[in-house]
Amino acid sequence: MNMHDITVKHGQELRMTRPDDGIRRGDPLLVVDNISLSFGGVKAITDISFDILKGEIRAIIGPNGAGKTSMLNVINGFYHPQEGTITFRGEKRSKMRTHEAANQGIARTFQNIALFKGMSVLDNIMTGRITLMNRNMAWQALWRGPAEREEIEHRQAVEHIIDFLEIEHIRKTPVGRLPYGLQKRVELGRALAAEPALLLLDEPMAGMNLEEKEDMSRYILDVNQQFGTTIALIEHDMGVVMDLSDRVVVLDYGRKIGDGTPDEVRGNQDVIDAYLGVSHDD
Amino acid sequence: MLYREAGDFKTTYRSDQQTFPIKSERWLFWAFIAFAFLVVPFFINDYWNKAVFMPLLIYCMAALGLNILVGYAGQVSLGTGGFMAVGAFACYKLMTAFPWMDMFTVTVLSGVVTAGVGILFGLPSLRIKGFYLAVATLAAQFFLVWMFNKFPWFYNYSASGQITAPERTIFGVAVTGANTTPWATYVFGLVLVFVFAWVARNLTRGRIGRSWMAIRDMDIAAEIIGVSPLQAKLSAFAVSSFYIGMAGSMLFANYLGAAEVTEAFGIDKSFLVLFMVIIGGLGSILGSFLGAAFLVLLPVLLKNIMVDQFGWATDLAAHVQIMLIGGLIIFFLIAEPHGLAQLWRLTKEKLRLWPFPY
Amino acid sequence: MSVELLNFFETFLNGLMAGVMYSLVALGFVLIFKASGIFNFAQGVMALFAALTLVGFMTGQVPFSHLINAIFGTELHNWGAGLPAFLAILLTMVVMVALAFLIEKLVLKHLVNQEPIILFMATIGLAYFLEGLGDLMWGSDVKTLDVGLPSGGSFWWEDVTRTWAAQGAEYYGMYIDLLDVSAALIAVVLVIALSLFSQYTATGRALRAVADDHQAALSVGISLRRIWVIVWSIAGFVALVAGIMWGSKSGVQFSLSLIALKALPVLILGGFTSIPGAIVGGLIIGVGEKLAEAYIGPMVGGAIENWFAYVLALAFLLFRPQGLFGDRIIERI
Repeated sequence: MNMHDITVKHGQELRMTRPDDGIRRGDPLLVVDNISLSFGGVKAITDISFDILKGEIRAIIGPNGAGKTSMLNVINGFYHPQEGTITFRGEKRSKMRTHEAANQGIARTFQNIALFKGMSVLDNIMTGRITLMNRNMAWQALWRGPAEREEIEHRQAVEHIIDFLEIEHIRKTPVGRLPYGLQKRVELGRALAAEPALLLLDEPMAGMNLEEKEDMSRYILDVNQQFGTTIALIEHDMGVVMDLSDRVVVLDYGRKIGDGTPDEVRGNQDVIDAYLGVSHDD
Repeated sequence: MLYREAGDFKTTYRSDQQTFPIKSERWLFWAFIAFAFLVVPFFINDYWNKAVFMPLLIYCMAALGLNILVGYAGQVSLGTGGFMAVGAFACYKLMTAFPWMDMFTVTVLSGVVTAGVGILFGLPSLRIKGFYLAVATLAAQFFLVWMFNKFPWFYNYSASGQITAPERTIFGVAVTGANTTPWATYVFGLVLVFVFAWVARNLTRGRIGRSWMAIRDMDIAAEIIGVSPLQAKLSAFAVSSFYIGMAGSMLFANYLGAAEVTEAFGIDKSFLVLFMVIIGGLGSILGSFLGAAFLVLLPVLLKNIMVDQFGWATDLAAHVQIMLIGGLIIFFLIAEPHGLAQLWRLTKEKLRLWPFPY
Repeated sequence: MSVELLNFFETFLNGLMAGVMYSLVALGFVLIFKASGIFNFAQGVMALFAALTLVGFMTGQVPFSHLINAIFGTELHNWGAGLPAFLAILLTMVVMVALAFLIEKLVLKHLVNQEPIILFMATIGLAYFLEGLGDLMWGSDVKTLDVGLPSGGSFWWEDVTRTWAAQGAEYYGMYIDLLDVSAALIAVVLVIALSLFSQYTATGRALRAVADDHQAALSVGISLRRIWVIVWSIAGFVALVAGIMWGSKSGVQFSLSLIALKALPVLILGGFTSIPGAIVGGLIIGVGEKLAEAYIGPMVGGAIENWFAYVLALAFLLFRPQGLFGDRIIERI
């Protein structure tokens, strides 16, 4: 492997959240209001409302096929709901292109890893900063000067993330060659690189062993506490969910059946039924 | 121990990001460039220029362009021949309309015109992907060739339907027309390829290049991250067509001198350049050069052996040649799907450890 | 009926007939794509190769005669006697099966699990190889092919349609080529046979299973390699039929391989995996092309047949990216 010795310049402190948007910690950052989504005749989400407060870790749980991933897809504009509205940072939106959601400060990771297989770890994470870079094509073609300066500036920020996630040794490895656990970590790095206001994590610990889960939990908590990033996560491991999250939304068959702190949700009869299984054909 | 990186420490991000991070590689590169600029022009003759160097430079340019589209941005195109025709006709119209314009400007402007056409035909890529897009680019290929045939304005109403390059000079030296010297066209092409290869390298290593590759590797994830598919795809089409247009302009003005559109810019050109990119290596600038070199030099070599050595008929030699090229493409795909550039990379990894393999 | 209307019908009918020919080529593509996910660019060249071989057998050419003559200085050209059409077709079929076997053995086997684009490129390589091989074996001159199919215009149809014209109008009846009619009939028989084969035989079921999911098919004990040989043999057979039709119509020559390019817009309209799609798509393209040439062509200087099919397919794609018979694409992440 490459052993390039790189001195990290600590000139600039890493910002992990975008400049203050006037929303105070504890106020709603994102409000989901009466969202319904269907594909052809199949209803994926029916009339769901909840909010995510700034600075919290919000878990979305539910059995398979409950509509959790669809919910995330709606939040970052990949699916367009037939009914309902989404208010992010006080701005209500209807139809929106996915990359515009990214520009507003929503980043995410994916259930099945969606890294750019042909690129190195470094390039993958650099791609996460694409919304923050803006030198035009003419400067890029010349490279020397503004484009190179911009590149180096962002490289520094990315190196901080690489430091933070402890993946220095693989920064120039093509991601396709990495084991699953590391790929998940790189994907988190790519999302962090965008300096998101809201970070969506879709099953960040799926398929990991205990040690890897502990590592990932630590990173998630650190991101939340050190950088104050608001996080919404989907996770099946109840232990992890109960430990990490401030509040939990429970979905089943595309409907919301529970909402509250981990303890409240644990005591909710509907939730217990959904997980233990109760006949649904009324 | 000629090729090694131990002890070659990088202390700034800038030096870590340079094109050839290893010292011996840098030396090799500059030695090669010095040879191309300072030695070849003094020894080049008409045969070498016509048979080897000019086709090599022109196809390097075209392969570079197509590689940006197919290799970096992942948009398959079969319209290369048509876009080269756009470059050639733009060049012809510019040369005849503005006789005072120097050839560098003409070539670059031809590229710009082609970039515009490329964007137009790239629009479908926003809706359709993969093979479907390849067929859409076929529409470009056939439509463009038909258009240049049907509307006499494009070939200035000449009776033969051909376009013929008038003489144009740079610093008093003719680079087009009947009075060119081999070294003049060679150096002209070399300068263009050198400059624009450098530009291609710059574009692919920064933000734009990463947005292309992100779209290529996983377009949905790329969009969710914040890559605008519109910008990424259309810029790839524009830049790619720019290069291909310049290649077309060079092919017509500096190499052929006169061209007829169906003959010079048919669908076989599209496939030829595509093969170069694949054999050389998708998503690699070095690969574009290696692929172009391979497919330009191989036929010359085969022809030399079969026709000049064995004395076979040329059509027989052509059949054997096309069969061999087909066979070689399959062979390369089986042996190394990532092309010659990947072979070079693997050789380097071996060299790094040489002479101690473990 | 007015003469204009009758002319329109005639163009329409000829378009349908031309469309059948496109469908025949597209059918070969669909078969291979369904069973192996490979977009076989060489389908057109396979048709050319089959037709060349057939002509070679029928006229009793010595294969590779040019090459042999060039190397050994001999003057070989003909065995002296040709084979009857029936026998030659059978022999050609044997050659196509052998070819399918070799393709599996030498190419596909080594490219399992590669990306579709790599396989696509490999078939382009294959197309070049076969083109060179065909020319090398049988020479590259234009050959006529006559396996005894009827050809020329149908007088009966001309007489019938003449009576349709309005009273007093000058109309000589519609022209329809008997060769086209027989091609259409053969295509119908071929499609019915293929559907029966895939519905009611064990091999057919295995084919459909492989088309659905390679892994699952392997896990229930279907030999992927055997299936591939079978599929490529069938595609070779379809190529032979297409080669006979096109060869009888316009001579066996290099341009035959370019019909593969024409099959592409057909596939786009019909979808890559649908046999009815290939048929309907072929008909639409055939009719669209002929009508466009007749009614739009004169306005822009003619010869728009070259690109009209692609533009038609492209326009269609912009509104229905999944093709005529495809399901709506729901993108997931």
